[in-house]
Amino acid sequence: MTAEAKAETLAAEWEGGVLPYKIGHRKLGMWLFIMSDSLTFCALLIGYSYARSSSENWPTPFPFNPSIIFSSMMTLVLLSSSLTMVFAVAAAKRGEKKIARTWILATMFFGSMFIVLHVTEWFHLFHEGVYFDAIPEAWLAPDKWPGSSKLFGATFFGITGLHMFHVLTGVIYLGVIAARIKKFNAEDVETSGLYWHFVDLVWMFVFPLLYLLSVDFSAAGH
Amino acid sequence: MEQTKNKEIALLNMVQALLAGGSLVVAVWAVATDGFKSGTDTLFLVMVCLLLALVFSIGPMMWATQQGLIANPLAADQSEAHGGNRENAVIWIALLVLTGIEVLLAYVHLNITLMLIILMGLSIIKAVLIVAYFMHMKFEKMSFILTIVPILVVLLCLFVVFFPDGMRVKNLRSTQVPSLEEQQAAEK
Repeated sequence: MTAEAKAETLAAEWEGGVLPYKIGHRKLGMWLFIMSDSLTFCALLIGYSYARSSSENWPTPFPFNPSIIFSSMMTLVLLSSSLTMVFAVAAAKRGEKKIARTWILATMFFGSMFIVLHVTEWFHLFHEGVYFDAIPEAWLAPDKWPGSSKLFGATFFGITGLHMFHVLTGVIYLGVIAARIKKFNAEDVETSGLYWHFVDLVWMFVFPLLYLLSVDFSAAGH
Repeated sequence: MEQTKNKEIALLNMVQALLAGGSLVVAVWAVATDGFKSGTDTLFLVMVCLLLALVFSIGPMMWATQQGLIANPLAADQSEAHGGNRENAVIWIALLVLTGIEVLLAYVHLNITLMLIILMGLSIIKAVLIVAYFMHMKFEKMSFILTIVPILVVLLCLFVVFFPDGMRVKNLRSTQVPSLEEQQAAEK
């Protein structure tokens, strides 16, 4: 493009009526929300990391079965849900709304599976005596993790709880899109897709930092 | 007149490119001869040289792109068919493989810092794949990419800033408080 033509286009864009970044305003709004939510999760994860790295001792109580198996399944489920969401957005872009709805329902199915697995995992921990404000006495035994902070419960349930809340909200959001898909256009489907991928993105960081760094190597095991 | 101006511009860009190359050479020389034995001094020199190289290379790169000497690596690929199902499936497989590596790594007994660096590194790669392909960022306008991505980079840097701080706090605890062993001995 010549310099003059470029200048003309630029002037025309500044006149108004042109979308900034050539992105629809709903999609842009969702991106800005994602930015602010990433800050929230980042703050929580940094808080957890700080508490853990400044503690004398920290519980690492997750045995392969069931904790790591469950959490790996959850990661697999969430990644699959991201893939089905991508297919849904692609179908919506092609104008095939019924196919898009099928893919969105698949995404919702995987999301619900994640929630079920996660809640089951939570109940395993409740059963052991781990709560938001307490850890089991057994964990303070000399051959386990003596002197550990009770913050394990608070950080674990706080971070995974907020994440699960986001997944739940996401499933409901997708449900609304799927139910009224005739009234929504491809951009709306893409916007909901962005939210869902963000939820997956956060899990990519939560999984290693909370689960994989807390694998149980103690001799007694569980 | 136009031709002379063009020649001058070309010469100016060559000189800048030479300076950029020179800065890189100094950085490489610093590492080769000293090898970070002087610690942060060498690091500082290397960082300054890399920064200079970056700054000096911007002009020549833009000029070369305009002249058509090099393909614009930052152009959004609108013409090519993208986001095909096969491409997304491949990205998904890559994500699964990276997750598998992370899980396996959890069972290898590594020094905690190294473990953390590797895990975070792999997670960052996964995050980049998701943002670029699934969230369609790779195919957006460069101005949008530059608006969103730096924020995410800053978040990662925040992590790096706070970790050493947390570890340092351990050493700052008052020695008047009985240590863990003394407390346990007192309890027995």
